[in-house]
Amino acid sequence: MAMTMSQKRNTFSAFRYFILTIWLLIVAFPMFWMVGTSFKPDKEWFAWPPVYITENATVRNYLIVWANINEYTKADGAHIDEKTGELSQYTQSLQRPWVALRNSTIIAGIATTLAVLFGGVLAYGVSRHNIISEGKMFQLLMLRMVPPIVLIAPISLWYRQIGLLDTITGLVLLYFLTSLPYAVWMAKSFIDEVPREMEQAAEILGASRWRTIWEIVLPLVRSGLVATFLFILILTWSEYLLALLLSKSEVLTLPVELSKYQGSTEGRVYGRQAALSVGITIPLIFVGLIIRKHLARGFSFGMVRR
Amino acid sequence: MTAEQTIGENLPLTGRAASRAQGIRRFKWTVLTPFFALLIFILMPALIAQVFFSLNHFSIFDAGDDDGWRSYLNASEWIGLELFIEVFNDERFLNACIRSLLFASGSTLGCFIVGFGLALLMYRPFRGQALYYIFFILPMLTVPIVIAYTGEMILYQNGPLNDILSRITGMRIDAQFLYKKEIALTTIAFLEVWNWTPFSFIIMMAGLAALPQEPQEAAKILGASKWRIFWEIQLPLLRPVILLCLILRFLESMAEFPKTWGLLQGGPGSATETIPVYIFITTWQYFDISYGAALSYVVLILMVAIVWAGIYFLQREKKNLDEMYFARPDSE
Amino acid sequence: MSRIELTDLRKEFGSVVAVKDLNLTIEDGEFIVLVGPSGCGKTTTLRMIAGFEDPTAGEIKLDGTVVNDLEPRDRDLGMVFQSHALFPHKNVADNIVFGLRMKNVGKEEQLQKLHEVSDLVRISHLLTKMPAQCSGGESQRIALARTLVTEPSNFLLDEPLSSLDAKLRRELRAECDRLHAELQKTFVYVTHDQEEAMTLADRIVVMDQGVIVQMGSPIDIYSDPVSYFVADFFGNPAMNLIPGEFVKNGSGIEFKSDQFNVPLNEKFSSVPIGSGTFGIRPENVQVVSSNSDSNRKIGLVEPLGKDTLLYFETDSDRPFVAVVDGTENHTAGSPVELNFPQENIFLFDSNGDRIRA
Repeated sequence: MAMTMSQKRNTFSAFRYFILTIWLLIVAFPMFWMVGTSFKPDKEWFAWPPVYITENATVRNYLIVWANINEYTKADGAHIDEKTGELSQYTQSLQRPWVALRNSTIIAGIATTLAVLFGGVLAYGVSRHNIISEGKMFQLLMLRMVPPIVLIAPISLWYRQIGLLDTITGLVLLYFLTSLPYAVWMAKSFIDEVPREMEQAAEILGASRWRTIWEIVLPLVRSGLVATFLFILILTWSEYLLALLLSKSEVLTLPVELSKYQGSTEGRVYGRQAALSVGITIPLIFVGLIIRKHLARGFSFGMVRR
Repeated sequence: MTAEQTIGENLPLTGRAASRAQGIRRFKWTVLTPFFALLIFILMPALIAQVFFSLNHFSIFDAGDDDGWRSYLNASEWIGLELFIEVFNDERFLNACIRSLLFASGSTLGCFIVGFGLALLMYRPFRGQALYYIFFILPMLTVPIVIAYTGEMILYQNGPLNDILSRITGMRIDAQFLYKKEIALTTIAFLEVWNWTPFSFIIMMAGLAALPQEPQEAAKILGASKWRIFWEIQLPLLRPVILLCLILRFLESMAEFPKTWGLLQGGPGSATETIPVYIFITTWQYFDISYGAALSYVVLILMVAIVWAGIYFLQREKKNLDEMYFARPDSE
Repeated sequence: MSRIELTDLRKEFGSVVAVKDLNLTIEDGEFIVLVGPSGCGKTTTLRMIAGFEDPTAGEIKLDGTVVNDLEPRDRDLGMVFQSHALFPHKNVADNIVFGLRMKNVGKEEQLQKLHEVSDLVRISHLLTKMPAQCSGGESQRIALARTLVTEPSNFLLDEPLSSLDAKLRRELRAECDRLHAELQKTFVYVTHDQEEAMTLADRIVVMDQGVIVQMGSPIDIYSDPVSYFVADFFGNPAMNLIPGEFVKNGSGIEFKSDQFNVPLNEKFSSVPIGSGTFGIRPENVQVVSSNSDSNRKIGLVEPLGKDTLLYFETDSDRPFVAVVDGTENHTAGSPVELNFPQENIFLFDSNGDRIRA
């Protein structure tokens, strides 16, 4: 029997909600599990059947991971030095999330600021004066697309040679280089949208070049540049490989700090990992939701036209 | 323009035009100099060192710890292309390549199909669209290493996934998603899909939303079915965006490291030993710097070729688009 | 006093010559309109005067001084853009006083001039709005005000009305005319719309493929076009242009095409034999009802009120049109005779140049 238009529409609508909700669950479940686990007491981490919503919610994981409140006991499976009664060295080295947070913030912040400033100026030059040809703009993408693993060993040796290994500067420079392509492309897409006539109108009304950029162009691309900044912040904040191999102990970043839990010999500490993960992820999600409308710009490379 | 003679090339620029051209040139080099300086200062020495290591037998254990490059020279022995020959005969490397290609193409396709599917369902406004959108982009905003570890909490044998599957099917499902050789790589590919579907989703949403409406309506009035409109109008118009999605995703998943390494370090056995993992193990666990360098060079050249091809396609699509949108170069 | 002189002005974009050795003098207070199809070089010429494009060769003089090397802001010009180019992040008042601020005019004077000029173009009620809240017509008035307020000696207008609908366009056309009359400044106006050119200009400059084809008052251009191109471009409905041949017919010369054979009187006796084009404006065609043996039949009747258009089918891709008084009664299919008064005939040779008597 043929369906009427409105029946068809209702069927489609139901189908749509069904599929979307399934994917919503797939997306949300790991988030839910991460947050949930971070509040679970130790014995529920590995319980079977798994505990979905704990009745014994505790902030102990957060206190141990973030506030460095040293409640490790033998029962927790921590290695305690038999003679001194203190926590073993390895466990101690895990207790530095704030240092990692500070490093991550500084490194991602500086690298991103540099990339956006530099990329913005470059993008203006490309958009208005064609200082880099389109072909070269695409070649710039190489910097990001060639996997860093293939150069990381000699870079690390070279960094050791010139004293950049395990320094904030060393990581900042590499993050700057690898995020520059996205910064330029994204900033360019926003600058391209400011019509040239707007600048010419200002110019013929007597505004100098800098005045025009300051009063006309900048206000119009400001939100775009903020989006570019946040987008690149997300990328640098979550970078793992370079941070792992170019830092030893001084410039530990958050993803590396987290990975140290996984490497620990005393077994998995899911609750602690989750508590740290939540802390790492929340700023990113916050930032991402602010710029969600601009995200498409970040990687559409001029392929989406309005 | 027929026989009209142009004189522009022969004339020197005068006055303002010249000074402006000079200004732009100065601007260009002021901006680009620090950039090139960085490339030369950081990447060039690395590339050169890589050549050196790959052509010499070098062991980090023979090199003193503090003497710097002099000790590297002392600890190395010229062996020419020997290592490269070894790379090409290295079955483990070949397997890593195959794994990487499988992983990259599988996860790229997965991301694309799911992302495009969701975008198709969502690009027209409906109740709750904004809310779904927000949720759907979340995975991309999650740190990959966090995904790896959270993935483990969910996927391990006594984890919630087995429990949920058991409850749904009514059977006791006891899958070792991570520690069974046959499925470990697939599992990681699924994590990659979970992580990066938002990328395809966002781009395809933007692409679909930006499609001009008139041609679709015109086709509808001409009697085309939804399916035909999709195949003959939407899909061809979306081609550049689709290619962008596939190419960028493929390149990035070829380099995927945090999840494969963070979860399984190449194991079980070598079931998840992709190219980056193999290089990592060679260089940072065996400390076979020389062989790692040779491997890296081969991969570098391979990847540059792939990236080059990808960039070439993207650039061509962009040019087509530019021509489509600014059809007449002579228009005013 | 302000006079714009363009000498041998040339602009090339790569291998495309946009403006070819153009010579033009625009007198003080003149309203001049550059008109032509898109790609003819009119906008490029205007942008060279403004200083946004550097000429490949040639000179631009304002008041006798060469300004090729002056920045746009130093040329004492005002410009209105096709897109209006209002600053979307500033409100209307801030948009208007922007130029005054750039020239460091005092706050009080800014305010006073703001109110003067917004009264002049009747936008006083919009001052606190943002450009996005204003209609197309209002935006164009604001753009005008923004230019007027700096009191430049020359106004450059780049298709300022082309983004507006027909009624608004007529309204703002009248506004431009009024402003020009009131300000007595030089206006250089670029358009591709012949009607705008006819109604606004003191002098029309017709351009095609980078060169000036004809210059003159609107009446000159209309009644005495120098070429097929100009004849075709001006007038609505367009001039009837029939391709055919000039042949000898006894002592005189006759125009011959498949449907029209027109004997030409002795003042055309010097017309060269060969192919060419016969032209006559629709309003000059005399339509006489005839008996049924005439094989010329009206194809389509289009009453416009005051006038009525009659269409006749031809072999070429455009119909032959005649304009008759709206009171005359015609029906499609009825046979008529067409007469062409000799004094209203235009002839063009095979190159499209006008053949003068």
